[in-house]
Amino acid sequence: MQSLREIQRRFVEAVFSPEASIDFVAGSPASARDRTAIYRRTIFTNYHNALSATYPVVKRLTGAPFFHTAVDAFAHAYPSHSGDLNIYGDALGEFLATYPPAADLPYLADVARLEWAIDEAHRASEASCAPESVLAALAIAPPHRLPALRLRLEPSCRLVASPFPILRIWQTNQPGYSGDDRVMLDEGSDAMLIRRGDNGISLERLTAGDHAWLAALAAGGTLGTAIEAAQGADATFDLGVTLREQIAAGTIIAVVDM
Amino acid sequence: MSPASNRLPFQAGIGLRTPHVNEVLAQCPDVPFFEVHSENYYLDGGPALASLARIRADYPLSLHGVGMSLGSADPLDLSHVEKLRTLIARIEPALVSEHLCWSGIAGRHLNDLFPLPYTDEALALACARVAELQERLGRAVAIENISSYLTFADSTIPEWDFVAALARRTGCKLLLDVNNIYVNATNHGFDADAYVAAIPPDAVAEIHLAGFETANGCLIDTHGAPVAPDVWALYARTIERLGSRPTLIEWDTEIPAFAVLQREAATAQGILEACNAVAA
Repeated sequence: MQSLREIQRRFVEAVFSPEASIDFVAGSPASARDRTAIYRRTIFTNYHNALSATYPVVKRLTGAPFFHTAVDAFAHAYPSHSGDLNIYGDALGEFLATYPPAADLPYLADVARLEWAIDEAHRASEASCAPESVLAALAIAPPHRLPALRLRLEPSCRLVASPFPILRIWQTNQPGYSGDDRVMLDEGSDAMLIRRGDNGISLERLTAGDHAWLAALAAGGTLGTAIEAAQGADATFDLGVTLREQIAAGTIIAVVDM
Repeated sequence: MSPASNRLPFQAGIGLRTPHVNEVLAQCPDVPFFEVHSENYYLDGGPALASLARIRADYPLSLHGVGMSLGSADPLDLSHVEKLRTLIARIEPALVSEHLCWSGIAGRHLNDLFPLPYTDEALALACARVAELQERLGRAVAIENISSYLTFADSTIPEWDFVAALARRTGCKLLLDVNNIYVNATNHGFDADAYVAAIPPDAVAEIHLAGFETANGCLIDTHGAPVAPDVWALYARTIERLGSRPTLIEWDTEIPAFAVLQREAATAQGILEACNAVAA
């Protein structure tokens, strides 16, 4: 008799490799093969459905057959490690970036990253925000300590940037969109702040400097590092203006590490 | 939160899925209780969680997990348990349930429900995992019998004895899925009534009903069709034996209008009331 672990290991192998031996399944070889195939179909259909819900624009851009084939390859390359199917698929953008059949769609990976950011924003925790308390905390910080400060972003905030006009691509592929749906790939790059507000998810276009600044803060960098990143991306970056705007907008919710 | 109730009524409730949440919130339909998939609310915040809290304020609610993989030879995923614990603290459900199955091995998760080989080793492991889960959650959990399309050559214990032994050894509750018993009885050639007869009645905290589809002579538990006539009949005989129990209509694929689910629940309610009338 095989151990439970061995049976489970062989079953998983058989799901992903139809040619694997399945003599651990009861019944005739033909019936065992048919019954194992039912599980294989269900599993991949589950992944198609889950990722279709997370990546509707990627699916619309590629068409369902291409999308499902890509998801099958993705599920082989990036197995799920959680019993929560809702958080599966974060790496689809990374996968599509080097997926040979998607080579003609160079923007596809970034559209996937945008859709994942939207999905994460939906699931993020709540945070109360009081701009006056953030301003007060900054006002009492000694000037020499300012570069070492860290600013906490509202938990749903996500930063996405692409050399392609992915915001327009995303917008023109929303259900019910009726307007000019032609997007020129050389229209220019996009940098965005995605967040959840009282009226749902918002996608706001940022300057390259503001994006670099917020992305550095979101990654846990100090204010000093974030300023350097912003100035590197945009020589006209104005810290005073951006700071006031993003505090007022509720993007920055706390000053930490004082 | 002002919880509606902390017990599931012995009536027919409905599995609540995302497409119907807004309708339920707007119209407050007369439904004795709802059940949701726990993992759909493993969220840190946001509108879905807020909606669930509002529904919980008006209805008894059951949390039904699909991802714990209790029968895996891997250890319990403690981060998954912790998310469930957090959700339980938020929602104060009337009942928490999971499946008698496994979903992955060696850290890989296939996000589907697989049957166990029914062996002494698997029984010992399932008992240990269920006991650990109940210990970590600080409450009894109801464990559901799953549908299956194959059996393992090494199985030595009939499924019904395996399920009954799990309840006796761990003190867990059972969520008896009558459709799954029917599907397995057909797929594997056993007597569905003998299965029901082997189940300790006191352990059964809830009953599930759903629809199956047929492919190449195999019944597939798609949760995408009305409850079949044979399953209604098996349900009536089950209620006759156990007495009435909270009963849930599940529909997960090709989800129909909410009114269709209400009609299915009304049929179950009629069977429950007929049984009560005979008992009285």
